[in-house]
Amino acid sequence: MLERAGVPAVSICTDAFVVPARAMADVLGHPDFEFVTIPHPIASLSPAEIETAVRQVVDDVARILTTP
Amino acid sequence: MTAAPELPVVDVEESRRVVEDYYARGWTDGLPVMPVSESILADFLAQTRRDPDEVLLDMPHLSRECTVRLAAINAAMAGCLPEYFPVVLAAWSALKAEGYVPRAIWQSTTGTASILLVNGPIRERIGLNSRSNVFGSGFRANATIGRAIRLTAINAFGLRPGELDQGTQGNPSKYSACIAENEEESPWTPFHVEHGFDPAASTVTAMTMRSVAHIEARHTQVPEQLALDLADTIARTGALIHETISACIALGPEHAALLAREGWTKDDLRRFVYEHAVNTRERLTAVGKDAVSGKTRWRLSSAHSEAVPDSDPDADVVKVLGSQAAAQIIVAGAHNAGVSAVIETFGPRGGPPAIAPVESAS
Repeated sequence: MLERAGVPAVSICTDAFVVPARAMADVLGHPDFEFVTIPHPIASLSPAEIETAVRQVVDDVARILTTP
Repeated sequence: MTAAPELPVVDVEESRRVVEDYYARGWTDGLPVMPVSESILADFLAQTRRDPDEVLLDMPHLSRECTVRLAAINAAMAGCLPEYFPVVLAAWSALKAEGYVPRAIWQSTTGTASILLVNGPIRERIGLNSRSNVFGSGFRANATIGRAIRLTAINAFGLRPGELDQGTQGNPSKYSACIAENEEESPWTPFHVEHGFDPAASTVTAMTMRSVAHIEARHTQVPEQLALDLADTIARTGALIHETISACIALGPEHAALLAREGWTKDDLRRFVYEHAVNTRERLTAVGKDAVSGKTRWRLSSAHSEAVPDSDPDADVVKVLGSQAAAQIIVAGAHNAGVSAVIETFGPRGGPPAIAPVESAS
């Protein structure tokens, strides 16, 4: 939605939601839509654990954001 | 001795192949579905004046919608008789009015489904059960009207488990959930009349539900004792996701009669439950739900980095219902034991319930 509005964006989901995320991308007409996954769960993590998870994917996020 | 009914002459293997074909196409909830033809579809569409292409409910985030035609096909596949179809149509109107379904609640990890409550003369006309085993199996109208909604969710909206339906566990009402109010054994005004409908009108009410919690209270004739059991069930901390929650109390006729005999109205029960469905601050702290998120308003620990105080941070006793109207009251089940249930509905609610009239084709 953001990208349709011209704002570079990247979707991040936990690995538990890969199948629904892929299904949503198909429904919205972007079967090749690239998103980043992090290990499940996140809701119960401490801030430090969240930071660790984010550090593992930050390069992927940057790459997708800067790739046309 | 009763004569055995004449057996229909059909090719059973062929009819099973048709059912297996529906399975192979994924057009099922796991149980066999009834095959549909154009002529059978026409029988359903003849039950309404509405255009087959009229959109009953849409999910804009999926670019998908349910039309009258799709609702009819799935009602037929679910095993409905054509004369049930006006109830199914009213159910879709109620679901749209309730508002959670278009906002994707059926896809949520919470695993909710929608329970339908039917009131009025249509119950008798189509054989909807309001008495023994009201939440259970055994009645075609209840079983297939509820299932019509689920099959539409699967086939029209594509909400298949693990894909676009992300329910962590779901709940048994995801097969079918349609009950009727036991108006005849209720001491009070029927639910639809309480909310402004004529007693001669038939209606469908839609509620997004998480679970049905069973209440045992066979031991008492004291209204307060029964009402405390109900309040305690509503207040259980495991139900707390949002700051406040909502519930529909489904009183067995024996419990409703007990309350009415002592002069309690529905509003008296609602007021009592609102006041007594509470947790101590200490209890909320013990389960890590003593504050809310500043972003989502979901309950979490006051030690969490997102935590902000809940609406009444100085209270030692915290209500789980945001208003008296967050508790609805109906009468359902057999008049044979001191048993009731709390339907745990989704969301804080509080406004009027989502009720739609059943419209006849004539």
